[in-house]
Amino acid sequence: MRERYRMRKKKRGAWTATAVCLLAAALICAPLLMIPGGSLMDHAEIKQILSPILEEGKGFAVWHLLPFYPTLDHFYRLLIESPAFYTLFWNTVGMTAAILGGQLVVGLPSAWAFAAFRFRGRDILFGLYVVLMLLPFQVMLLPQYIVLQKLHLYNHFAAVILPAIFSTFPVFIMYRGFTQIDGEILEAARLDGAGELQIFLRIGLPLGKMGIQAAMVLSFLEYWNLVEQPMAFLEEQAKWPLSLYLPQITISQAGFAFAVAVVVLIPALFVFALGQDALEEGIAYIGVKA
Amino acid sequence: MFLLPGFSGVMLFYLLPFFEVVRRSFVKSGNGAFVGADNYRMVFTNGAFQLAARNTLLYLAAGVPLLMGISLFLSLLLRNLFLRRKLVSAMLLPMAVPAAVMVLTLQILSDKQGLINGALTKISEKITALPAFVSIDYLNSEWAIVVVVCSFLWKNTGYMVILWLAGLGALPKEVEEAAQVDGANKWQNWHYIIRPGLSGSFFTIGMLSVLQIFKSYREVWMVAGSYPQEQIYFLQHLLQNWYLKLEFDRMAALTVILSIVLLVVCLLLQRRQHF
Repeated sequence: MRERYRMRKKKRGAWTATAVCLLAAALICAPLLMIPGGSLMDHAEIKQILSPILEEGKGFAVWHLLPFYPTLDHFYRLLIESPAFYTLFWNTVGMTAAILGGQLVVGLPSAWAFAAFRFRGRDILFGLYVVLMLLPFQVMLLPQYIVLQKLHLYNHFAAVILPAIFSTFPVFIMYRGFTQIDGEILEAARLDGAGELQIFLRIGLPLGKMGIQAAMVLSFLEYWNLVEQPMAFLEEQAKWPLSLYLPQITISQAGFAFAVAVVVLIPALFVFALGQDALEEGIAYIGVKA
Repeated sequence: MFLLPGFSGVMLFYLLPFFEVVRRSFVKSGNGAFVGADNYRMVFTNGAFQLAARNTLLYLAAGVPLLMGISLFLSLLLRNLFLRRKLVSAMLLPMAVPAAVMVLTLQILSDKQGLINGALTKISEKITALPAFVSIDYLNSEWAIVVVVCSFLWKNTGYMVILWLAGLGALPKEVEEAAQVDGANKWQNWHYIIRPGLSGSFFTIGMLSVLQIFKSYREVWMVAGSYPQEQIYFLQHLLQNWYLKLEFDRMAALTVILSIVLLVVCLLLQRRQHF
């Protein structure tokens, strides 16, 4: 009898917990729901519902989740009539791709070095990598500016790409992925006469896949959303990524801005959906003790 | 060696220039004359610095405990739920949303005549017992810090929930089960088993939250620009603005100060972590 009572109480507890968490999740996701509707809303409707904000008249703005008169006008204007959009879009794509590719080329061997070898100064060096990954960009702003000036890279795409390639964050995440590999496998391979390069390529890469994926997903989300670096190091607006262009569209063009937002958001959400397990794994790597 | 290419890049783009900045922080930027601690004195007596430092501390004091509390509460609830994975993903979604995308939405929500004020007014009209609600211009008043903290929570809750869940997952299940058989209630379970077991996580997540605050500048800048409302003028604004004004000697000193503070945070974190 008592057991049953307890079971029922437990069940009720689970329901309330679910309800609270659902509410929190809904609160977190709710603002995003404004975006798709907004991008399909025609100019007149936006003007009407946002008129209190735009004209500072009486009353309050309202929002329609679904537009009354849906239209693809904004997308048409953006995708067909704004050639500048493509420049910025390809800037974003190009920079992100270059950074991710570079991080793989440079970061993978570094991560493997930390995971597979014990060498002198390893711990101190690794501590340094961790500190560097945790520092905010503003602290590195002046130091990086000095190098970029010296190398005459200021206002080149390389000014954003090169420092990012050598970021230590992906190294850390990939390292954590590699440490999940059983050391005995490496030992056995060495005994069987496999070269270090072979071990890295044949064992490290396939077995450390989760860490690599996690690093790439985290990096993609970070660099798709670049703001500070291009703002500081790229003078010409024609070299900016989309993420810097979007905030310049004023609220009177809300529909158009929402359309840009949709275009920026789709690749990010796509990667998020595909790489979700890796993403969660990667975040957990940051916190758990080795 | 595997590490060489990566490390040379780290040297070139991070370490060497950083030491150069340390050197410059003791030097006048025009002629390179050695000025000792003058640059540091200039930073500490600077009004903008004092304002920014105070604001940053306030932001930390509000943001970190709130973030930790909310995310811990949610992860305790989430821990054994059936829908756990779906809910965690939903909470993590803001990580995928570029800051720029949220600027407009936030404006529409928080404007003086925006959606939030509209909703609050409606509520206060319905419930006549409440005094009439006066609209607030959130971003351009002392409420700006509230907006900033909310957006910080919005962005980081999912991230911290994952870290808490990882910590909770590492606790041995048997202890709790045994306690439950012995009739421990929820509070006792929390107080005697979960809380002590999580002490390591408390520390790690606390430090990471501090660092996230410093990394949240992107969002703040996006909504409020380079010269925002006084309450949300942070140290990062100061660095950014000195950079634009080419005030490199002061900036070097401030960079060094800030790195020392953050370095201490990182080292505390590492001592506990043994990465």
